[in-house]
Amino acid sequence: MLYRLAGFRGLPATILKFILLAIVDIIGGIAITQAIAGRATVMIVVLAAILLGVNYVYLFRAPVQWKFLTPGLVFLAAFVLTPIIYTVGMSGFNYTTGNEISRDEAIAALVDNSLAEDPEGTAYDITLGKDSNGDMSALMMNQIDGVVSLATLDGVTPLEEGTYELSEFGVPNAAEGFTAYTPDEIAELGDKITEVRFPLGDGSFASPIYEELAVRLTQDLTYDPKTDTLTSMSTGIVYKDNGNGNFADPADPDNQDSKLYPGWRAVNFPDNFKGLLFDPEIRNPFIGVFGWTVAFAFLSVITTFAVGLTLAIAMDKPIRGRRMYRSILILPYAIPGFLSILIWRGMFQRDFGIINRLLTDFGLISANIDWFENTWTARAVILIVNLWLGFPYMYLIASGALQAIPAELKEAAAIDGASPFQSFRQIVLPLLLQILNPLLISSFAFNFNNFNIIYLLTGGGPRDELNGERAGSTDILISYAYQTAITNPLDQNFGLASAISLFMFIIVGVLSMWSLRRSKALEEF
Amino acid sequence: MKTFRVNLWRHITAWVLIAFTAFPIYVVVMSSLDTSGGLLTTSLIPPEMGFDNFAKLFNDDQIPFMTWVKNSLYVASITAVVSVFMGAASAYAFSRLRFKGRKLGIQALLLIQVFPSFLALSAIFVIMGEVYKVFPAFGLGTTGGLLLIYLGGSMGINAWLLKGFIDSIPAELDESARIDGATASQIYWLIFFPLAAPVLAVVTLLSFIGTFNEFVLASLFLTDVDQRTVAVGLQQFIGGKFDQNWGPFTAGSLLASIPIVIIFLSLQRYIIGGLTAGSVKG
Repeated sequence: MLYRLAGFRGLPATILKFILLAIVDIIGGIAITQAIAGRATVMIVVLAAILLGVNYVYLFRAPVQWKFLTPGLVFLAAFVLTPIIYTVGMSGFNYTTGNEISRDEAIAALVDNSLAEDPEGTAYDITLGKDSNGDMSALMMNQIDGVVSLATLDGVTPLEEGTYELSEFGVPNAAEGFTAYTPDEIAELGDKITEVRFPLGDGSFASPIYEELAVRLTQDLTYDPKTDTLTSMSTGIVYKDNGNGNFADPADPDNQDSKLYPGWRAVNFPDNFKGLLFDPEIRNPFIGVFGWTVAFAFLSVITTFAVGLTLAIAMDKPIRGRRMYRSILILPYAIPGFLSILIWRGMFQRDFGIINRLLTDFGLISANIDWFENTWTARAVILIVNLWLGFPYMYLIASGALQAIPAELKEAAAIDGASPFQSFRQIVLPLLLQILNPLLISSFAFNFNNFNIIYLLTGGGPRDELNGERAGSTDILISYAYQTAITNPLDQNFGLASAISLFMFIIVGVLSMWSLRRSKALEEF
Repeated sequence: MKTFRVNLWRHITAWVLIAFTAFPIYVVVMSSLDTSGGLLTTSLIPPEMGFDNFAKLFNDDQIPFMTWVKNSLYVASITAVVSVFMGAASAYAFSRLRFKGRKLGIQALLLIQVFPSFLALSAIFVIMGEVYKVFPAFGLGTTGGLLLIYLGGSMGINAWLLKGFIDSIPAELDESARIDGATASQIYWLIFFPLAAPVLAVVTLLSFIGTFNEFVLASLFLTDVDQRTVAVGLQQFIGGKFDQNWGPFTAGSLLASIPIVIIFLSLQRYIIGGLTAGSVKG
């Protein structure tokens, strides 16, 4: 038979398989090496598991369905399931701007950032070079007491007079075990010079400002692992973990000013959810956004369906020009949506937009309307544009459904004396709604998450930005989550955004299950 | 004449909606030809017409339109081809093979594909930020990272769509081959794949259109001007400067839309079939 003639059984297929697998293994191997270099434990484990799994499936006699399912499953698991699980996890964290790193990283950063030039202003004339290990070191002379010493990354050794040489400017520049850098080497090091810290042994450091001068840095904060506290040398305050991702002055732990930054992402479950439900500052905008989301999705479905259905009924007879009508009328569905939205936005522009121009020409308005600065006109514009975008889809599905309703039903109604309107109202419409119900629910779910129209048309606004308002009056949940998590790099709140996303997951999930049950799709296999 | 009068309301309905539909399209076409380059200010017909706006797209360094088109083609075609290849294999397994956990698998697939991947955008933002630290070629801000997210996101819907199509291809051929002793992968590559090629091509094109039109994730990932797709490029270009950039923007929109509209209209039959398949069956 065909497959034997093709000789697919045997060598060529096996070779092809091994080549493909080898490519995957090489890419995977490189990836794991990079992950090891980056010390990303989670990624190492995940990559290794995937690679082992793939090799097992295609090299050993794994059940045949796995050969078909594995590639798709890997991508689905990595880039769809993982973000969903991550969303659930993040919603239980205080994960905001200033609290983005792990606790250990935060402590290290706090201690490191607390370095400051010491009050006495100690400075050193230096020559930079290599020590006997090849690491960066410096010969330095204290500008105040004139003591000369060799500073390495391990510590400082004072040098006896006579064991070093001075340059013409009186700076020590040669000693045993020390090789000064050439000007080229200095140039190559560049800014790295200023990141070097030579420990002086008393908790302070000598740090070069440039290649000829270093200053003494003292560390203000010290971390004590036993008590898990940070102590400030200058003020004597002992900072404690405030349980919400920051070290803070225990005298006033909730005051923003008493917290030390950076903080870390700390578990604060269920604060994000509690905030959405009970904290008026978060709850009130959330409720407003939620209400408009539902209203927007509902009104969009109703208006597009009403127009689409009317059109479908009008075109249900083979009238003249129907094909031409149809190909024009489905254009909004074919044109890339993001472009249509941006074009509508230009048309509604206040000063130059065609809409204001036409309204003025017809004498309907005397001054240009700023459509996007007023909550209600902005909302109206959104619904009009969404009607333009959405009615062709409704027309297509409604005319499909109309054809699926047997003509005998309408005939029988007519014989029984029903008027066309009665027969439509009492026979066609209920049947139509029954057929289209799942699609209408899906359409609701789609609009519920219709990020593009909101983001591209109004950007969620009008929004009172001067008062730091996050929720605009046309924001829907998804654009609000985007606003919360991403828009402003100085004020990101991933935890809260994830909690909002979870609400959306639940709503979309429930709607879809409902729609699928209606369409009986779940029972078919 | 009498039938025309009876059908008059049908024609009126159609013409009212055609006016509504065509209005922005007309505005775009006219603006793109308007040599003054600003928003249409004086009348519905521009006083001077020409192709200056189109020329700008190809000559002006501020609008690397061709680069954007290239990026879009690159991202969308890789996503479409690879995701259909992988999706078809999964769909085949769910449609033709019988194994334990199959029903559960289909239900899980059905559930997953209803969540658009951008719903988890804050998680994607954070995860890909971490990935960037380890794999600079595949994290946030890279085309590679965007591709990976697209591939994952289109897997569910493509597998689901393809399963529907594959269910409608008669299974007799596979069965006779199986009786002759062919293995599952032989049947897949030598019998099923050539048979399903037209269907796979259609789904590939649909997936291409979907990816070409995607905006949210692309705007999250593509921050460099030279990396942008048409969607992000044109949005950033027009953003806030409707009065100055309107002309070239409409010209670019027109050029970007035409191929998509043509593909869409030629696939109409399948798209509409796919739209109603789920519902009419019930």
